[in-house]
Amino acid sequence: MKKVFLLGLVFLCTFPELSVAQESPFVQGIFRGSRVINGHSLETLRAGEFEFLISHRFGTVNSGARELWGLDQATMRLGFDYGVADWLTIGVGRSTFEKTYDGFLKFRLLKQKEGSSPISISGFTSIALRSAEDLDPVRGEFFDNRLFYTYQFLIGRKFGERFSLQLMPSLVHRNYVATLVESNDVFALGVAGRVRVTKNFALTGEYYYPFEDQLATGFHPSLSLGFEIETNGHVFQIHLSNSRGMIEKFFITETTGTWGNGDIHIGFNMARIFKLKGRWY
Amino acid sequence: MVLKKYLFLLLIPLLGMGLINFTPPNWNEDTPVQEVLEYLGESKPGHSLLVGNEDKNMLIQRGEDIVKRGKTVGPDGRKSKFVSKHYNCTSCHNLVQEDPDLKSRDPEARLDYAIENQLPFLQATTFHGIVNRESWYNDDYYKKYGDLVKPARESLQEAIQLCATECAQGRLLEDWEMDAVLAYYWSLEFNLGDLGMSGEQMKSLKNLAGNSSTHQEAKELLKRFYMQKSPATFGDAPPDKNAGYGLEGDVERGKSIYSLSCLHCHKEGGVSKYTLDHGKLSLRHIRKKIPQDSHMSLYQIVRYGTYALPGHRPYMPHFPLERMSNQQLEDLRAYIEFGAR
Repeated sequence: MKKVFLLGLVFLCTFPELSVAQESPFVQGIFRGSRVINGHSLETLRAGEFEFLISHRFGTVNSGARELWGLDQATMRLGFDYGVADWLTIGVGRSTFEKTYDGFLKFRLLKQKEGSSPISISGFTSIALRSAEDLDPVRGEFFDNRLFYTYQFLIGRKFGERFSLQLMPSLVHRNYVATLVESNDVFALGVAGRVRVTKNFALTGEYYYPFEDQLATGFHPSLSLGFEIETNGHVFQIHLSNSRGMIEKFFITETTGTWGNGDIHIGFNMARIFKLKGRWY
Repeated sequence: MVLKKYLFLLLIPLLGMGLINFTPPNWNEDTPVQEVLEYLGESKPGHSLLVGNEDKNMLIQRGEDIVKRGKTVGPDGRKSKFVSKHYNCTSCHNLVQEDPDLKSRDPEARLDYAIENQLPFLQATTFHGIVNRESWYNDDYYKKYGDLVKPARESLQEAIQLCATECAQGRLLEDWEMDAVLAYYWSLEFNLGDLGMSGEQMKSLKNLAGNSSTHQEAKELLKRFYMQKSPATFGDAPPDKNAGYGLEGDVERGKSIYSLSCLHCHKEGGVSKYTLDHGKLSLRHIRKKIPQDSHMSLYQIVRYGTYALPGHRPYMPHFPLERMSNQQLEDLRAYIEFGAR
């Protein structure tokens, strides 16, 4: 894992400088939204911004016409994020999938800057609580067994005005695993990209690879592809993914579908930003 | 003794006829223009500051906060609310001299001056010397705001309130806020040194001021060195946007206008959510809309601006011809089309 991570860092730091001149010394808008697809981008909200995020993932497209290719089986997540400071975003959410509540902190550690810092880095940590019925109704569950934790570094760089890349070394800790062959701690490396086609339209992709021998058989890496449209105050993201869950513990450690089998979920994120504090714009 | 008495009596009509000169105060470059005008018999304007000197510095600080940041700490020690949630005064106004010659409003000369001094090139006039003006919201602003401009033309306080509530889509200033803003404006008043007078002209002014019978002449001379109102002529978008105004644009000047004008608000982190930069994607986005009969066409948006809508109050004010000429608009187009290739 270390090698892959270091290689990624070397790649990010040595790619030729292509970016255009900016008014601010800091490179802005590496990603447009706070999410790339399922996972977080390194972007934080500006102080006082409140983001309402509605995300849907439908059933798999291989479920056939009777299920309208998955559209009959939606799961959703409602998210509420808030920019405490320009460098700190907090958020809570609730997924219908396994009736899961989550909360997170995301904080800027480094900003890409012309001539000095080639990359931006944000730290991310979250906690998730599964509130669905007990997995083992006979034995019951301790409260602790319902908890999941995620830790990530979101390391990204904008290469010119069109292309942005992000690496996401990740750790998901699960208090409870069903079998002894599964690890409580799952290390993974994610990579995400964004290609701007026009000012307000971009293609996005995201891939999370959990390293070998940590998950039980039947769980797969998460691959998602999509596009996003930016309007004044909104970002619409529409995508295809083999993951159904919209928080880290789901898509990093519990992705059961594969693209090869057609286990592809159509989904969308719709974000609307409001300004609660400070100046509106 | 008797002779002295007759001499004294003789002096009285001579004084009245203005045949005897008094030495005027020792004016220099730092002497405020208003002080000179009042010496010459001009009455105090309606926006004069009616506070003692002990309050003045505090007022100026509060006024500067309101102008630059939209709020301050009030006399009660509590933070005030934003005058406008959308804009600062400095979103549209400079605070320093922006015309190289205060006697004219030539947008080409102003652009040169803005480039040289890296000043924003904006829709509205600078606050430097705003208290020395005698009329605001002039000429064609009536077309936009109707009868609202009538009181604003006569009174700086009314002009400020109109700007706060209509242009900035904010609220009326409270009395203490108005005093603070006026105090800050007075700190930006013209001094004699701002007027660009030569030594000879200054000497003439002093000579005229030294004789009470020529005070009116002195006032007229002084006021020839700056404009008492900023003219505002609204232009139209060209009927054929593809053809534009039929003027050849200058790419370099257009780039400066884009930087100093458009990006002042539309840069990332600016007051507008519609963000732009010098990249091809932004420039192509604008270029595509130039020929369209849409409010997003460059010609349309510069000449008419946008309007406040329910749910989205902030809007872009348009540029009168004195603030951006048709030639400058073509310069801007030339840069956009060049950069978008």
